[in-house]
Amino acid sequence: MLDTISLKRKPGTRKGHDQVVSACCQECSVGCGLLAFVKDERIVDIQGNENHPISRGRLCARGIAFVQGITAADRITLPGTRNRLRGPFEAFDNWEQGIDLLAERLRRVKEQHGPDALVIGCDPEAGLDFYLGAQRFARLWGTPHVYHPLQEAVDDALPMALRHATPQSCQWSHSRCLVLIEADLASTHPVAFQRVLQAQRNGTKIIAVDSRFTTTLSKADIAVIIEPKRGNDLGLALMKMLLEEQVLDPTSAASRFKDFKPWMDSYSALPMENLAAVTGLNIETIRAIARALGHRSPAVLITAKHLAFARHYGIWLTIARTLGWHATTGGGWYPLESGIPELDPTVGLEAIEPVVPRCDTIALPYQPNRSAQEALDNRQIKAIIGSGNCLADFLAPLHKRTNDFDLNVYFGSVSNRTRQAAHMVFPSTTWAERDGISFVQDGAVQWSPKIVKPNDACRTGLGFWMRVAERFGWEEYFPWKKANGLADQKTFYQWLFKHNAQTEHLQMDPIVAENAVIYWHTADGSASSPEAGLLVAPDAVSPGPSPDDPTVYPLQFQATRTMAHASELGRRWPLTAELEEALGIQIHPLIARTLKIENGETIVVASEDEVIEGPAAISRMVPPRLIWSQQRMQADRVLVYRKGQAPEEARDRLKAIEL
Amino acid sequence: MTMQAKANLKQRTLMIEASSCIGCQSCLAACKLENDLPSGPRPIAAIQVGPVESDKGLLTQHWPATCYHCDQPACVLACPTGAMQKRADGLVFSDFELCIGCQTCAVACPFGHPKLNPATGKIAKCDGCRQRVDAGLWPACALVCPTGALSYGSPQAVVHQRRMHEAVKITQTFTPTKC
Repeated sequence: MLDTISLKRKPGTRKGHDQVVSACCQECSVGCGLLAFVKDERIVDIQGNENHPISRGRLCARGIAFVQGITAADRITLPGTRNRLRGPFEAFDNWEQGIDLLAERLRRVKEQHGPDALVIGCDPEAGLDFYLGAQRFARLWGTPHVYHPLQEAVDDALPMALRHATPQSCQWSHSRCLVLIEADLASTHPVAFQRVLQAQRNGTKIIAVDSRFTTTLSKADIAVIIEPKRGNDLGLALMKMLLEEQVLDPTSAASRFKDFKPWMDSYSALPMENLAAVTGLNIETIRAIARALGHRSPAVLITAKHLAFARHYGIWLTIARTLGWHATTGGGWYPLESGIPELDPTVGLEAIEPVVPRCDTIALPYQPNRSAQEALDNRQIKAIIGSGNCLADFLAPLHKRTNDFDLNVYFGSVSNRTRQAAHMVFPSTTWAERDGISFVQDGAVQWSPKIVKPNDACRTGLGFWMRVAERFGWEEYFPWKKANGLADQKTFYQWLFKHNAQTEHLQMDPIVAENAVIYWHTADGSASSPEAGLLVAPDAVSPGPSPDDPTVYPLQFQATRTMAHASELGRRWPLTAELEEALGIQIHPLIARTLKIENGETIVVASEDEVIEGPAAISRMVPPRLIWSQQRMQADRVLVYRKGQAPEEARDRLKAIEL
Repeated sequence: MTMQAKANLKQRTLMIEASSCIGCQSCLAACKLENDLPSGPRPIAAIQVGPVESDKGLLTQHWPATCYHCDQPACVLACPTGAMQKRADGLVFSDFELCIGCQTCAVACPFGHPKLNPATGKIAKCDGCRQRVDAGLWPACALVCPTGALSYGSPQAVVHQRRMHEAVKITQTFTPTKC
């Protein structure tokens, strides 16, 4: 018998310490366990927790580098205000004085423009409690505009209980095939990616599909490049092909699913040529993927978060259910960044009618119901309370309008573009400085105690909303106050769990005391019955992304939020500053040759009404037609040229090549 | 037992399986935290090669590059102050007290590994986490590596592990359990 026992790991620290805190990393949604070694209230070392079921002692760069953010030289340590957006901030004597002024200015905005003139941007950096507190405050205040990049898409076709009957990543080794759709797990969640490599070593086939040749694609057995954001259309094509190839037994399926025949007919009516065209693949490639998938049961379908905001997201659950993988060991659908249960923090406020937006939903990236760009100009937004760096990310479309706002408030820990646009700042704790609950994408929940004490002027998200609510006489709706006046996170989450169906079975005391990882979605047996009726029937293939004239803006543009690397906070720290070309704009060597662009040279990416600049990163990671950057733009089609080069010259040169 | 034989017994090896490396730079972040290094010096870092075009399509490889702790280290021979030394267990390190930051070692090293730490004006290079291994611990980089591209142990143990990985691959080829 083969001895395949791994080398014996010898973890620990050599550094002197007076305390060890077992916490859960909250830099992303994987939820790795870590041990923080603390001496004199300073973190001296971070090591992975070998006993943690998700990470087993491993950590990624971000899970180590967060230490530097706590003691960063430009940490905001006092609340402040300024009248002019360019001037310096004047510090308040204390937090209460700042909140008094904030309340007064909020009242003025409400009087002049109405309650729904307020937008609240909830970056994950500010904590889940900030988002939940904001939703509660917003109901009382009367604004529908509360945004979070990981909030669930509003889609009645995808009940949470169904979605979360998903295989834990530790079960991927039992799968015969892992399919990663526009999910660059190797770059964004390296610790989760170890499970992919482990499965591959055990004979699991890895199929990766993305718009760029990412690290994940480089490790896959089958790597396929598709058009950006067309993953769900590929799902439709695969389902159609699986039906055509008769991988699915129609007789057996018809007996299990209601309305099976019309559902099947909807796929027959779908033209494969259109699906092939919008995904950028030929039919033979789609057939090859479908065959590889259909003959390797069970498979796990791992999808990127941004697919949640495109049409037909439910196709992945549909494939998993019709092929019988759903809720089985080693099979099913694994949507990334989706481990948070349905938590309604507005319990007790049912008497207050929720406000319907006066205008269309704002066209924002990573938001449900993304509507037409025209909606932006019709909005009545006049004030923003933003956390993290929301104005450079999921609220980027609002950034250029902040000059016209009456009130810009920043709740965060360091200086960034959101703070630069602010009239008032309020210092927040980092996750390592607050007690908190962490929901992770494996469908688990864990308690993470604070590692070090925060600065006296820093508050948690819940603490911030509690203070603001007090000024409007709503303290009875925020009753989670400790004797020292700060927010009691444990009591708050206990209350929240008790009042929500998906979490009411969770007991806070054992979660806190045992520091355990609890799989909330299966702990109460809420994983759905596979017989429940749910099949996505496509109506039509979505048209191309942009009607722009391709000769004016001949290239495609894509900006991806890479959770493990792209945080502006992460980029600024010495440990991670050099890990990547943060502002680098990837272009294919063919484009670089055509436009005579050298590596590292400053280039301009222009759309009809937006421009970004950055050093050229010449790479075959992108196909010739695609420009990729971490800097966000709203446009899908762009022109690229050297800084100083005439745009017309670049346009003419690009006309001469075939993209 | 001879002195050399005793030294060999103590010897430990950092095993690098580049095929498992994904370039996440966890090793670098862990090394920097362990050694309190600023931006600049990289005692270990994953270098990305590619994507390059080939008849199999695009290919990318990552390579965790660090000090090889050579048998006959050029850096030790070149160091004018005797700061750069090789221990009995094979680890090559720079003595902080003796280093004058002249960077002769950096010129002598065929891999260009030693780098100046701008914060201290002294050389920063991989010392094999000698203080950690003396305390019986794994080096910081190997411990955090998410994919197992870095592992640590006696030369016999790491080679044995590598052989076992290959053996599993071969047995799966003949007796497929999943495919």
